[in-house]
Amino acid sequence: MDRVEGEGTLGMDDRATCGPGPLDSLGPLGPPGAQREPGILRLGRQEFPAGRLLVMAIINRTPDSFYRPGITWHETAAMERVHTVVAEGADIVDIGGVPAKPGTEVTVDEESDRTIPFVEAVREAYPDLVISVDTWRHEVGRAACAAGADLLNDTWSGWDPKLAEVAAECGVGLVCSHTGGQHPRTRVFRRAYADVMADVLDRTLTLAQRAVQAGVDPSRILIDPAHDFGKNTWHSLEISRRLADMTATGWPVLVSVSNKDFVGETLGAGVDDRLAGTLAVTSVAAWLGARVFRAHHVEQTRQALDMVAAVKGDFRPARVLKGLV
Amino acid sequence: MHGPARGPAVIIRAALCPCPPLLARELTGRDPIVSGLREACAEAAARLVAADPDILIVVGPAPETAGWDSASRLDLSAFAPALRATLGASGTPGLPLSLGLGVLLLDQAGYSGPRVLQAVGEQEPVARCTELGDKLAASAARAALLVMGDGSARRSPTAPGHLDERAAPFDARVERAIRAGDLAALAAVDATLARDLMATGRPAWQVLAGAMGAERPMTEILYADDPFGVAYLVADFEAAPNGAGHAGAS
Repeated sequence: MDRVEGEGTLGMDDRATCGPGPLDSLGPLGPPGAQREPGILRLGRQEFPAGRLLVMAIINRTPDSFYRPGITWHETAAMERVHTVVAEGADIVDIGGVPAKPGTEVTVDEESDRTIPFVEAVREAYPDLVISVDTWRHEVGRAACAAGADLLNDTWSGWDPKLAEVAAECGVGLVCSHTGGQHPRTRVFRRAYADVMADVLDRTLTLAQRAVQAGVDPSRILIDPAHDFGKNTWHSLEISRRLADMTATGWPVLVSVSNKDFVGETLGAGVDDRLAGTLAVTSVAAWLGARVFRAHHVEQTRQALDMVAAVKGDFRPARVLKGLV
Repeated sequence: MHGPARGPAVIIRAALCPCPPLLARELTGRDPIVSGLREACAEAAARLVAADPDILIVVGPAPETAGWDSASRLDLSAFAPALRATLGASGTPGLPLSLGLGVLLLDQAGYSGPRVLQAVGEQEPVARCTELGDKLAASAARAALLVMGDGSARRSPTAPGHLDERAAPFDARVERAIRAGDLAALAAVDATLARDLMATGRPAWQVLAGAMGAERPMTEILYADDPFGVAYLVADFEAAPNGAGHAGAS
């Protein structure tokens, strides 16, 4: 896998052990045995059947994330946000301490300070809520699990191979994503793919299989094409269009499209004007079989997903009277 | 119009229930919406079953007067295609709505005895309806009758047929007649007015009037409301004690 620019932004301590590693030589559907039967997704104490669409609410413990920067930087505001998203129908909260974009280095200690006590607090407030932690570092992952996290959202595609080991060791779930080999916290730059979906499948299924080999419970593994990560807008539109190729593998698919640049570039919409586009892609992804939806707008996403699920026949309408009285 | 002379045939008990599709719990989504109505219908059906009839006759309005196969059921997927997967395909053609819901009530009441399913045409004149009731009553020594039919669907601006000022007094007259056991008053309901008011129960009421003959049954109204602009009425009719029976009573 070819590396991209920007490797220098990672701290040296990480570089010794991290990197995407060579990919095995795989066909477009990944390694043999990388398929799984679609079925139950287990997260924390909960089990979700295939037809159930889950909202993963974004809680950023950062001062500088791209959407509404700093809004949940303070712990009280962040906990308020958790109360709100739970009330709005979130199934999962995804707590992150490092923005995806380049910027001031956030050390392991700093990331841990931002996220771990908060995970503990959320766990105390909500014993059954599925808590995900958005990190690529195994040290943070291990501490998060000890604090009560149920899922490690490895947005940076196995950059730190030990993260899967931590997931196995702690008995938690793992998100296996695709970045095209992109170094953590770097932006895509002139990236080209012969076939972006083939590359996405190759990487995510390889990571899923490695995770299983490391001992992660297969029913706790998700795959994520990671829109915008190592992808230009055309690439993100392509993986949205071809998402059925991912869902056909049987692995539960997570999509993270909320307010992202590919939505903004497609619609010519600023970061605060991307809700309709976000919900449109969300709905397409749900129709094509994605099961978990990482979102800023929880209530609207919940409604869009319930509507799609009802069209699919997986969700009973709330109250049907028209023509039946 | 007398039944065949083969002993004292009598309708020992009858019930009137409305037949909106939403009576089927599966159709209203997560919200049961009309639990009270369903409970009242279940109570009325339970009383019919408890009367231990030789046969249970379901009568309901439909486009044409016809008897239906007693093994038939309502095809709910005609109203909610999404249910097709869970219900599976039924072998027989689906019953008209009114009969289908009547059968559903009997099934839910645990009735497994013989049943007759009789549709009465929406356009049938009064005399044909009462005559049909008369014949049905004579079909068994101890029959029970489940009559499916609704009042006006034009009771409010949001009603299916919008508001018709004549609807409220029309339904009130029907309810009064039933409360008093005055089935002759049901037989007198004007078919044209009933059609104008979208009171689809009219022919079925008149079958009931014909079937229960001249004796005033004891009645109890179990439900009377119009939550969605359609008059729903659930009533229980018990043959008068020491009644002469039906056959030959007119």
